[in-house]
Amino acid sequence: MTTAGRTAPGPTALARRDPTVVLGTLLVVSLLLLVPVDPWTPGALLVAAVAAARAGGVPWRTLLRGAATFGPFAVSVLAVNLVTRPGVPVAHVAGLTVTDVGALVGAGLAVRTLLVGTLAVVVASSLDPVRLVTSLHQRVGLTSRAAAALLAGHRVLEQLPARWVAVRQAQAARLPGPRPRRPGRLPASPRLLGRAAFTLLVVTLRQAQQMAVALETRGVGSGPRTVHRPVPLGPGDGVLAATALGVVLLVGLVTWRLGLLETWGTVGR
Amino acid sequence: MTAAGRDVAPDAGADRVDADGRADAPVVDVRARRGLTLSELVLLAVLAVLFGFLYWALVQAWAALQIAMGPFGDLAQHVLIGGWMVVAPLAIYIVRKPGVGVVVELVAALVEFAFLASPVGPMLLLVGLVQGVGAELAFTLTRYRRYGWWVFVASGVTAALASTLLGTVRYGWHLQDLFALRVGLQVVSGIVLCGLLARVLGDALARTGVLDETALGRERRARRAAAEVPA
Repeated sequence: MTTAGRTAPGPTALARRDPTVVLGTLLVVSLLLLVPVDPWTPGALLVAAVAAARAGGVPWRTLLRGAATFGPFAVSVLAVNLVTRPGVPVAHVAGLTVTDVGALVGAGLAVRTLLVGTLAVVVASSLDPVRLVTSLHQRVGLTSRAAAALLAGHRVLEQLPARWVAVRQAQAARLPGPRPRRPGRLPASPRLLGRAAFTLLVVTLRQAQQMAVALETRGVGSGPRTVHRPVPLGPGDGVLAATALGVVLLVGLVTWRLGLLETWGTVGR
Repeated sequence: MTAAGRDVAPDAGADRVDADGRADAPVVDVRARRGLTLSELVLLAVLAVLFGFLYWALVQAWAALQIAMGPFGDLAQHVLIGGWMVVAPLAIYIVRKPGVGVVVELVAALVEFAFLASPVGPMLLLVGLVQGVGAELAFTLTRYRRYGWWVFVASGVTAALASTLLGTVRYGWHLQDLFALRVGLQVVSGIVLCGLLARVLGDALARTGVLDETALGRERRARRAAAEVPA
Protein backbone atom coordinates (compact mmCIF):
# COMPACT_ATOMS: atom_id res chain seq x y z
CA MET A 1 0.00 0.00 0.00
CA THR A 2 1.25 3.42 -0.85
CA THR A 3 -0.73 5.70 1.40
CA ALA A 4 1.32 8.71 2.48
CA GLY A 5 2.80 8.36 5.91
CA ARG A 6 1.77 4.74 6.16
CA THR A 7 4.38 2.19 7.06
CA ALA A 8 4.19 -0.60 4.51
CA PRO A 9 2.76 -3.81 6.04
CA GLY A 10 5.33 -6.55 6.33
CA PRO A 11 5.17 -10.26 7.07
CA THR A 12 5.19 -9.83 10.85
CA ALA A 13 3.74 -12.29 13.37
CA LEU A 14 1.26 -9.58 14.40
CA ALA A 15 -0.12 -9.40 10.85
CA ARG A 16 -1.51 -12.94 11.27
CA ARG A 17 -3.48 -12.06 14.40
CA ASP A 18 -7.05 -10.76 14.45
CA PRO A 19 -6.83 -6.95 13.97
CA THR A 20 -9.68 -6.24 16.41
CA VAL A 21 -7.90 -8.25 19.12
CA VAL A 22 -4.64 -6.42 18.38
CA LEU A 23 -6.27 -2.98 18.51
CA GLY A 24 -8.31 -3.81 21.61
CA THR A 25 -5.25 -5.14 23.44
CA LEU A 26 -3.24 -2.10 22.48
CA LEU A 27 -5.97 0.24 23.69
CA VAL A 28 -6.19 -1.52 27.07
CA VAL A 29 -2.39 -1.48 27.41
CA SER A 30 -2.36 2.24 26.62
CA LEU A 31 -5.00 2.87 29.27
CA LEU A 32 -2.97 0.91 31.84
CA LEU A 33 0.08 3.00 30.94
CA LEU A 34 -1.75 6.09 32.17
CA VAL A 35 -1.19 4.91 35.75
CA PRO A 36 2.63 5.00 36.16
CA VAL A 37 4.45 8.34 35.85
CA ASP A 38 7.91 7.05 36.75
CA PRO A 39 10.41 6.26 33.97
CA TRP A 40 11.19 2.73 35.21
CA THR A 41 7.86 1.05 34.45
CA PRO A 42 7.48 2.31 30.85
CA GLY A 43 11.25 1.92 30.37
CA ALA A 44 11.13 -1.79 31.19
CA LEU A 45 8.06 -2.18 28.98
CA LEU A 46 9.81 -0.35 26.13
CA VAL A 47 12.67 -2.87 26.27
CA ALA A 48 10.14 -5.72 26.30
CA ALA A 49 8.17 -4.18 23.40
CA VAL A 50 11.27 -3.74 21.23
CA ALA A 51 12.39 -7.32 22.00
CA ALA A 52 8.92 -8.68 21.17
CA ALA A 53 8.75 -6.64 17.96
CA ARG A 54 12.14 -7.92 16.82
CA ALA A 55 11.17 -11.49 17.67
CA GLY A 56 7.94 -10.98 15.68
CA GLY A 57 9.83 -9.93 12.55
CA VAL A 58 9.55 -6.12 12.74
CA PRO A 59 12.72 -4.72 11.12
CA TRP A 60 15.03 -2.33 12.99
CA ARG A 61 14.41 0.22 10.22
CA THR A 62 10.72 0.47 11.17
CA LEU A 63 11.50 0.80 14.87
CA LEU A 64 14.20 3.43 14.32
CA ARG A 65 11.97 5.43 11.99
CA GLY A 66 9.35 5.45 14.73
CA ALA A 67 11.91 6.55 17.32
CA ALA A 68 13.07 9.38 15.03
CA THR A 69 9.45 10.55 14.71
CA PHE A 70 8.57 10.32 18.38
CA GLY A 71 11.93 11.48 19.74
CA PRO A 72 11.19 15.23 19.43
CA PHE A 73 7.86 14.76 21.20
CA ALA A 74 9.52 12.90 24.05
CA VAL A 75 12.27 15.53 24.41
CA SER A 76 9.67 18.31 24.39
CA VAL A 77 7.56 16.62 27.09
CA LEU A 78 10.69 16.12 29.21
CA ALA A 79 11.84 19.73 28.80
CA VAL A 80 8.59 21.41 29.80
CA ASN A 81 8.02 19.09 32.76
CA LEU A 82 11.55 19.63 34.09
CA VAL A 83 10.91 23.32 34.73
CA THR A 84 7.18 23.53 35.45
CA ARG A 85 6.59 21.04 38.25
CA PRO A 86 6.70 21.99 41.94
CA GLY A 87 9.25 20.09 44.02
CA VAL A 88 12.72 20.25 45.51
CA PRO A 89 15.04 22.33 43.25
CA VAL A 90 17.92 20.23 41.93
CA ALA A 91 19.38 22.55 39.27
CA HIS A 92 19.05 25.97 37.66
CA VAL A 93 19.20 26.15 33.86
CA ALA A 94 18.96 29.46 31.95
CA GLY A 95 17.11 31.10 34.82
CA LEU A 96 14.65 28.20 35.16
CA THR A 97 14.48 25.87 38.17
CA VAL A 98 14.57 22.12 37.61
CA THR A 99 12.81 20.15 40.37
CA ASP A 100 13.10 16.52 41.43
CA VAL A 101 9.42 15.87 40.69
CA GLY A 102 9.80 17.58 37.29
CA ALA A 103 12.75 15.34 36.41
CA LEU A 104 10.94 12.18 37.55
CA VAL A 105 7.61 12.92 35.87
CA GLY A 106 9.22 14.43 32.76
CA ALA A 107 11.37 11.35 32.22
CA GLY A 108 8.36 9.09 32.90
CA LEU A 109 6.10 10.86 30.41
CA ALA A 110 8.89 11.04 27.81
CA VAL A 111 9.56 7.29 28.03
CA ARG A 112 5.80 6.64 27.91
CA THR A 113 5.66 8.69 24.68
CA LEU A 114 8.42 6.56 23.17
CA LEU A 115 6.73 3.35 24.30
CA VAL A 116 3.29 4.22 22.95
CA GLY A 117 4.84 5.52 19.72
CA THR A 118 6.79 2.30 19.26
CA LEU A 119 3.68 0.20 19.84
CA ALA A 120 1.76 2.37 17.35
CA VAL A 121 4.41 1.90 14.66
CA VAL A 122 4.56 -1.85 15.21
CA VAL A 123 0.77 -2.21 14.97
CA ALA A 124 0.38 0.14 11.99
CA SER A 125 3.10 -1.72 10.13
CA SER A 126 1.18 -4.98 10.46
CA LEU A 127 -2.46 -3.90 10.00
CA ASP A 128 -4.21 -4.53 6.72
CA PRO A 129 -7.10 -2.00 6.56
CA VAL A 130 -9.45 -4.32 4.65
CA ARG A 131 -8.79 -7.13 7.13
CA LEU A 132 -9.38 -4.69 10.00
CA VAL A 133 -12.78 -3.61 8.68
CA THR A 134 -13.78 -7.24 8.03
CA SER A 135 -12.72 -8.14 11.56
CA LEU A 136 -14.64 -5.22 13.06
CA HIS A 137 -17.69 -6.40 11.11
CA GLN A 138 -17.30 -9.96 12.44
CA ARG A 139 -16.29 -9.21 16.04
CA VAL A 140 -17.92 -5.98 17.17
CA GLY A 141 -21.02 -5.87 15.00
CA LEU A 142 -19.95 -3.13 12.58
CA THR A 143 -22.87 -3.07 10.13
CA SER A 144 -22.29 -3.96 6.50
CA ARG A 145 -23.30 -0.41 5.50
CA ALA A 146 -20.76 1.10 7.89
CA ALA A 147 -18.12 -1.40 6.76
CA ALA A 148 -18.76 -0.50 3.11
CA ALA A 149 -18.51 3.21 3.98
CA LEU A 150 -15.21 2.65 5.81
CA LEU A 151 -13.78 0.70 2.88
CA ALA A 152 -14.87 3.50 0.55
CA GLY A 153 -13.04 5.90 2.86
CA HIS A 154 -9.98 3.68 2.75
CA ARG A 155 -10.08 3.78 -1.06
CA VAL A 156 -10.12 7.58 -0.86
CA LEU A 157 -7.13 7.52 1.47
CA GLU A 158 -5.18 5.38 -1.01
CA GLN A 159 -5.87 7.82 -3.83
CA LEU A 160 -5.27 10.96 -1.76
CA PRO A 161 -1.54 11.52 -2.49
CA ALA A 162 -1.99 11.12 -6.28
CA ARG A 163 -5.05 13.36 -6.21
CA TRP A 164 -3.15 16.02 -4.23
CA VAL A 165 -0.36 16.06 -6.81
CA ALA A 166 -2.90 16.26 -9.67
CA VAL A 167 -4.65 19.24 -8.07
CA ARG A 168 -1.38 21.06 -7.52
CA GLN A 169 -0.19 20.36 -11.06
CA ALA A 170 -3.46 21.71 -12.46
CA GLN A 171 -3.09 24.74 -10.21
CA ALA A 172 0.48 25.35 -11.45
CA ALA A 173 -0.59 25.04 -15.09
CA ARG A 174 -3.21 27.76 -14.62
CA LEU A 175 -0.90 30.24 -12.88
CA PRO A 176 -0.24 33.44 -14.87
CA GLY A 177 3.30 34.41 -15.78
CA PRO A 178 6.25 32.45 -17.12
CA ARG A 179 6.65 28.72 -16.54
CA PRO A 180 8.83 27.63 -13.60
CA ARG A 181 12.51 27.36 -14.49
CA ARG A 182 12.89 23.93 -12.93
CA PRO A 183 10.45 21.36 -14.30
CA GLY A 184 8.51 19.37 -11.70
CA ARG A 185 8.73 22.09 -9.08
CA LEU A 186 5.24 23.12 -7.91
CA PRO A 187 4.42 26.52 -6.33
CA ALA A 188 4.28 26.27 -2.53
CA SER A 189 2.93 29.56 -1.19
CA PRO A 190 0.59 29.10 1.81
CA ARG A 191 -2.28 30.71 -0.14
CA LEU A 192 -1.93 28.28 -3.04
CA LEU A 193 -1.52 25.30 -0.72
CA GLY A 194 -4.69 26.33 1.13
CA ARG A 195 -6.59 26.59 -2.15
CA ALA A 196 -5.27 23.21 -3.26
CA ALA A 197 -6.35 21.65 0.06
CA PHE A 198 -9.86 23.08 -0.33
CA THR A 199 -10.07 21.83 -3.91
CA LEU A 200 -8.96 18.40 -2.70
CA LEU A 201 -11.75 18.48 -0.12
CA VAL A 202 -14.39 19.39 -2.71
CA VAL A 203 -13.21 16.83 -5.29
CA THR A 204 -13.07 14.08 -2.67
CA LEU A 205 -16.54 14.84 -1.34
CA ARG A 206 -17.82 14.68 -4.91
CA GLN A 207 -16.16 11.28 -5.23
CA ALA A 208 -17.90 10.23 -2.00
CA GLN A 209 -21.27 11.04 -3.57
CA GLN A 210 -20.43 8.96 -6.63
CA MET A 211 -19.27 6.04 -4.48
CA ALA A 212 -22.47 6.21 -2.43
CA VAL A 213 -24.55 6.00 -5.61
CA ALA A 214 -22.47 3.04 -6.80
CA LEU A 215 -22.91 1.24 -3.47
CA GLU A 216 -26.66 1.87 -3.41
CA THR A 217 -26.94 0.64 -7.00
CA ARG A 218 -25.28 -2.62 -5.94
CA GLY A 219 -27.71 -3.03 -3.08
CA VAL A 220 -25.24 -2.45 -0.25
CA GLY A 221 -27.16 -1.72 2.92
CA SER A 222 -30.38 -3.33 1.72
CA GLY A 223 -29.90 -6.49 3.78
CA PRO A 224 -27.41 -8.95 5.32
CA ARG A 225 -24.16 -9.52 3.41
CA THR A 226 -21.74 -12.40 3.23
CA VAL A 227 -18.02 -11.92 3.94
CA HIS A 228 -15.60 -12.64 1.10
CA ARG A 229 -12.56 -13.51 3.24
CA PRO A 230 -13.49 -13.99 6.91
CA VAL A 231 -10.77 -13.21 9.48
CA PRO A 232 -10.25 -16.28 11.70
CA LEU A 233 -10.12 -15.96 15.48
CA GLY A 234 -7.79 -18.55 17.00
CA PRO A 235 -6.07 -19.48 20.27
CA GLY A 236 -3.07 -17.40 19.19
CA ASP A 237 -5.17 -14.25 19.51
CA GLY A 238 -6.04 -15.10 23.11
CA VAL A 239 -2.39 -15.86 23.86
CA LEU A 240 -1.35 -12.52 22.38
CA ALA A 241 -3.85 -10.54 24.47
CA ALA A 242 -3.10 -12.48 27.67
CA THR A 243 0.67 -12.21 27.22
CA ALA A 244 0.60 -8.47 26.51
CA LEU A 245 -1.64 -7.64 29.46
CA GLY A 246 0.24 -10.10 31.70
CA VAL A 247 3.61 -8.51 30.93
CA VAL A 248 2.27 -5.00 31.66
CA LEU A 249 0.77 -6.09 34.98
CA LEU A 250 3.89 -8.08 35.91
CA VAL A 251 6.23 -5.16 35.23
CA GLY A 252 3.93 -2.86 37.20
CA LEU A 253 3.92 -5.33 40.10
CA VAL A 254 7.72 -5.64 40.08
CA THR A 255 8.34 -1.86 40.02
CA TRP A 256 5.77 -1.45 42.80
CA ARG A 257 7.48 -4.12 44.94
CA LEU A 258 10.85 -2.44 44.32
CA GLY A 259 9.39 0.92 45.40
CA LEU A 260 9.98 2.44 41.96
CA LEU A 261 6.36 2.78 40.82
CA GLU A 262 5.06 6.35 41.01
CA THR A 263 1.54 7.57 40.16
CA TRP A 264 -0.11 11.01 40.09
CA GLY A 265 -1.30 10.21 43.60
CA THR A 266 2.21 9.72 44.98
CA VAL A 267 3.99 12.57 43.15
CA GLY A 268 1.16 15.03 43.78
CA ARG A 269 1.27 14.67 47.54
CA MET B 1 -29.35 11.41 -5.49
CA THR B 2 -31.82 9.96 -3.07
CA ALA B 3 -30.03 8.24 -0.25
CA ALA B 4 -31.96 5.03 0.34
CA GLY B 5 -35.06 6.93 -0.52
CA ARG B 6 -35.00 8.90 2.71
CA ASP B 7 -33.85 12.29 1.53
CA VAL B 8 -36.41 15.00 1.95
CA ALA B 9 -37.62 17.11 -0.91
CA PRO B 10 -35.48 20.14 -1.73
CA ASP B 11 -38.00 22.54 -0.27
CA ALA B 12 -38.81 20.47 2.80
CA GLY B 13 -39.21 22.65 5.82
CA ALA B 14 -39.11 25.86 3.84
CA ASP B 15 -42.10 27.13 5.76
CA ARG B 16 -40.05 26.83 8.97
CA VAL B 17 -37.35 29.25 7.87
CA ASP B 18 -37.32 32.58 9.64
CA ALA B 19 -38.48 35.54 7.63
CA ASP B 20 -34.96 36.96 7.77
CA GLY B 21 -33.50 33.64 6.61
CA ARG B 22 -31.42 32.96 9.73
CA ALA B 23 -28.86 30.22 9.33
CA ASP B 24 -29.82 28.54 12.55
CA ALA B 25 -33.45 27.98 11.73
CA PRO B 26 -34.60 24.33 12.02
CA VAL B 27 -35.42 22.99 8.58
CA VAL B 28 -34.60 19.27 8.73
CA ASP B 29 -37.52 16.92 8.25
CA VAL B 30 -38.13 14.90 11.40
CA ARG B 31 -38.23 11.62 9.42
CA ALA B 32 -34.75 12.33 8.05
CA ARG B 33 -33.36 12.62 11.59
CA ARG B 34 -33.68 8.87 12.22
CA GLY B 35 -30.49 6.90 11.55
CA LEU B 36 -27.90 7.55 8.90
CA THR B 37 -28.43 6.88 5.21
CA LEU B 38 -25.75 5.08 3.22
CA SER B 39 -24.77 8.29 1.43
CA GLU B 40 -24.40 10.03 4.79
CA LEU B 41 -22.27 7.15 6.08
CA VAL B 42 -19.99 7.36 3.05
CA LEU B 43 -19.80 11.15 3.37
CA LEU B 44 -18.84 10.82 7.06
CA ALA B 45 -16.27 8.09 6.31
CA VAL B 46 -14.66 10.22 3.61
CA LEU B 47 -14.69 13.30 5.85
CA ALA B 48 -13.09 11.23 8.61
CA VAL B 49 -10.42 9.86 6.29
CA LEU B 50 -9.64 13.29 4.85
CA PHE B 51 -9.39 14.90 8.26
CA GLY B 52 -7.53 11.93 9.69
CA PHE B 53 -4.95 12.61 6.99
CA LEU B 54 -4.99 16.36 7.73
CA TYR B 55 -4.68 15.65 11.48
CA TRP B 56 -1.65 13.48 10.74
CA ALA B 57 -0.17 16.36 8.69
CA LEU B 58 -0.92 18.70 11.60
CA VAL B 59 1.08 16.38 13.87
CA GLN B 60 4.10 17.03 11.63
CA ALA B 61 3.51 20.80 11.99
CA TRP B 62 3.17 20.26 15.74
CA ALA B 63 6.61 18.63 15.84
CA ALA B 64 8.15 21.61 14.02
CA LEU B 65 6.42 24.11 16.32
CA GLN B 66 7.56 22.16 19.38
CA ILE B 67 11.17 22.45 18.31
CA ALA B 68 10.73 26.16 17.52
CA MET B 69 9.28 26.84 21.01
CA GLY B 70 12.27 25.31 22.78
CA PRO B 71 11.72 24.29 26.43
CA PHE B 72 8.07 25.32 26.20
CA GLY B 73 7.44 23.24 23.10
CA ASP B 74 4.93 21.13 25.02
CA LEU B 75 2.59 24.14 24.89
CA ALA B 76 2.53 23.98 21.07
CA GLN B 77 -0.21 21.34 21.24
CA HIS B 78 -2.55 23.85 22.88
CA VAL B 79 -2.05 26.37 20.07
CA LEU B 80 -3.03 23.75 17.49
CA ILE B 81 -5.53 21.66 19.46
CA GLY B 82 -8.62 23.14 17.78
CA GLY B 83 -7.37 21.93 14.40
CA TRP B 84 -7.58 18.33 15.64
CA MET B 85 -11.28 18.68 16.50
CA VAL B 86 -12.68 20.62 13.55
CA VAL B 87 -14.24 17.68 11.73
CA ALA B 88 -16.79 17.04 14.51
CA PRO B 89 -18.69 20.36 14.29
CA LEU B 90 -18.23 20.34 10.50
CA ALA B 91 -19.86 16.90 10.20
CA ILE B 92 -22.72 17.92 12.49
CA TYR B 93 -23.23 21.12 10.48
CA ILE B 94 -23.48 19.12 7.26
CA VAL B 95 -25.44 16.03 8.37
CA ARG B 96 -27.36 17.44 11.40
CA LYS B 97 -27.98 14.15 13.20
CA PRO B 98 -27.06 13.11 16.74
CA GLY B 99 -23.80 11.22 17.21
CA VAL B 100 -22.14 12.09 13.90
CA GLY B 101 -19.56 14.35 15.58
CA VAL B 102 -18.44 11.53 17.87
CA VAL B 103 -18.43 8.92 15.09
CA VAL B 104 -16.45 11.05 12.65
CA GLU B 105 -13.84 11.97 15.28
CA LEU B 106 -13.48 8.30 16.25
CA VAL B 107 -12.98 7.18 12.65
CA ALA B 108 -10.55 10.04 11.98
CA ALA B 109 -8.61 8.92 15.07
CA LEU B 110 -8.64 5.31 13.84
CA VAL B 111 -7.30 6.40 10.45
CA GLU B 112 -4.65 8.59 12.02
CA PHE B 113 -3.47 5.91 14.41
CA ALA B 114 -4.02 2.58 12.65
CA PHE B 115 -3.38 3.59 9.03
CA LEU B 116 -0.93 6.51 9.38
CA ALA B 117 0.92 5.58 12.61
CA SER B 118 0.39 8.75 14.65
CA PRO B 119 2.85 9.12 17.56
CA VAL B 120 -0.07 9.58 19.97
CA GLY B 121 -0.86 5.89 19.54
CA PRO B 122 -4.09 4.05 20.36
CA MET B 123 -4.97 6.64 22.98
CA LEU B 124 -6.10 8.66 19.98
CA LEU B 125 -9.30 6.60 20.02
CA LEU B 126 -10.04 7.82 23.53
CA VAL B 127 -8.93 11.35 22.60
CA GLY B 128 -11.21 11.28 19.54
CA LEU B 129 -14.12 10.03 21.63
CA VAL B 130 -13.69 12.73 24.30
CA GLN B 131 -13.13 15.53 21.78
CA GLY B 132 -16.09 14.37 19.67
CA VAL B 133 -18.38 14.31 22.71
CA GLY B 134 -17.09 17.73 23.76
CA ALA B 135 -17.62 19.27 20.32
CA GLU B 136 -21.07 17.72 19.99
CA LEU B 137 -22.30 18.84 23.41
CA ALA B 138 -23.13 22.39 22.27
CA PHE B 139 -25.26 21.08 19.38
CA THR B 140 -26.95 18.52 21.64
CA LEU B 141 -28.00 21.33 23.97
CA THR B 142 -29.76 23.01 21.01
CA ARG B 143 -31.30 19.63 20.04
CA TYR B 144 -29.45 19.93 16.71
CA ARG B 145 -31.71 22.80 15.65
CA ARG B 146 -29.41 25.85 15.89
CA TYR B 147 -26.38 26.40 13.69
CA GLY B 148 -25.58 30.07 14.30
CA TRP B 149 -22.05 31.36 14.92
CA TRP B 150 -22.46 31.30 18.70
CA VAL B 151 -23.29 27.60 18.71
CA PHE B 152 -20.01 26.96 16.88
CA VAL B 153 -18.16 29.15 19.39
CA ALA B 154 -19.76 27.13 22.20
CA SER B 155 -18.81 23.90 20.41
CA GLY B 156 -15.18 25.04 20.28
CA VAL B 157 -15.24 25.88 23.98
CA THR B 158 -16.84 22.59 25.08
CA ALA B 159 -14.48 20.60 22.85
CA ALA B 160 -11.47 22.44 24.29
CA LEU B 161 -12.64 21.92 27.87
CA ALA B 162 -13.25 18.20 27.29
CA SER B 163 -9.80 17.89 25.75
CA THR B 164 -8.27 19.78 28.69
CA LEU B 165 -9.98 17.44 31.14
CA LEU B 166 -8.50 14.40 29.39
CA GLY B 167 -5.05 16.00 29.21
CA THR B 168 -5.22 16.75 32.92
CA VAL B 169 -5.92 13.11 33.67
CA ARG B 170 -3.18 11.89 31.33
CA TYR B 171 -0.43 14.36 32.10
CA GLY B 172 -1.34 15.91 35.46
CA TRP B 173 -1.51 19.44 34.03
CA HIS B 174 -3.38 20.64 37.12
CA LEU B 175 -0.20 20.07 39.14
CA GLN B 176 1.87 22.38 36.92
CA ASP B 177 2.49 26.13 37.09
CA LEU B 178 1.24 26.62 33.53
CA PHE B 179 -2.25 25.17 34.02
CA ALA B 180 -4.14 28.47 33.50
CA LEU B 181 -2.08 29.23 30.39
CA ARG B 182 -2.78 25.75 29.01
CA VAL B 183 -6.55 26.15 29.54
CA GLY B 184 -6.57 29.63 27.99
CA LEU B 185 -4.65 28.52 24.89
CA GLN B 186 -6.88 25.46 24.50
CA VAL B 187 -10.10 27.50 24.67
CA VAL B 188 -8.90 30.15 22.18
CA SER B 189 -7.66 27.46 19.79
CA GLY B 190 -10.93 25.54 20.22
CA ILE B 191 -13.01 28.59 19.34
CA VAL B 192 -10.94 29.62 16.31
CA LEU B 193 -9.58 26.39 14.80
CA CYS B 194 -12.49 24.11 15.76
CA GLY B 195 -15.76 26.03 16.08
CA LEU B 196 -15.41 29.01 13.76
CA LEU B 197 -13.28 27.20 11.17
CA ALA B 198 -15.91 24.42 10.94
CA ARG B 199 -18.63 26.95 10.14
CA VAL B 200 -16.45 28.78 7.59
CA LEU B 201 -15.44 25.50 5.92
CA GLY B 202 -19.02 24.22 5.87
CA ASP B 203 -20.34 27.40 4.23
CA ALA B 204 -17.49 27.44 1.71
CA LEU B 205 -18.12 23.80 0.79
CA ALA B 206 -21.86 24.39 0.51
CA ARG B 207 -21.26 27.30 -1.90
CA THR B 208 -19.50 24.92 -4.30
CA GLY B 209 -22.66 22.78 -4.53
CA VAL B 210 -20.92 19.62 -3.37
CA LEU B 211 -23.19 19.40 -0.32
CA ASP B 212 -26.46 20.00 -2.16
CA GLU B 213 -27.82 16.57 -1.20
CA THR B 214 -27.09 16.98 2.51
CA ALA B 215 -29.15 18.58 5.27
CA LEU B 216 -26.98 21.71 5.02
CA GLY B 217 -27.53 21.94 1.26
CA ARG B 218 -31.27 21.47 1.65
CA GLU B 219 -31.42 24.16 4.29
CA ARG B 220 -29.55 26.61 2.07
CA ARG B 221 -31.91 25.88 -0.82
CA ALA B 222 -34.90 26.35 1.46
CA ARG B 223 -33.52 29.69 2.61
CA ARG B 224 -32.96 30.83 -0.94
CA ALA B 225 -36.48 29.76 -1.89
CA ALA B 226 -37.91 31.63 1.09
CA ALA B 227 -35.95 34.74 0.16
CA GLU B 228 -37.30 34.63 -3.41
CA VAL B 229 -40.96 34.49 -2.31
CA PRO B 230 -42.45 37.96 -2.93
CA ALA B 231 -43.65 39.73 0.22
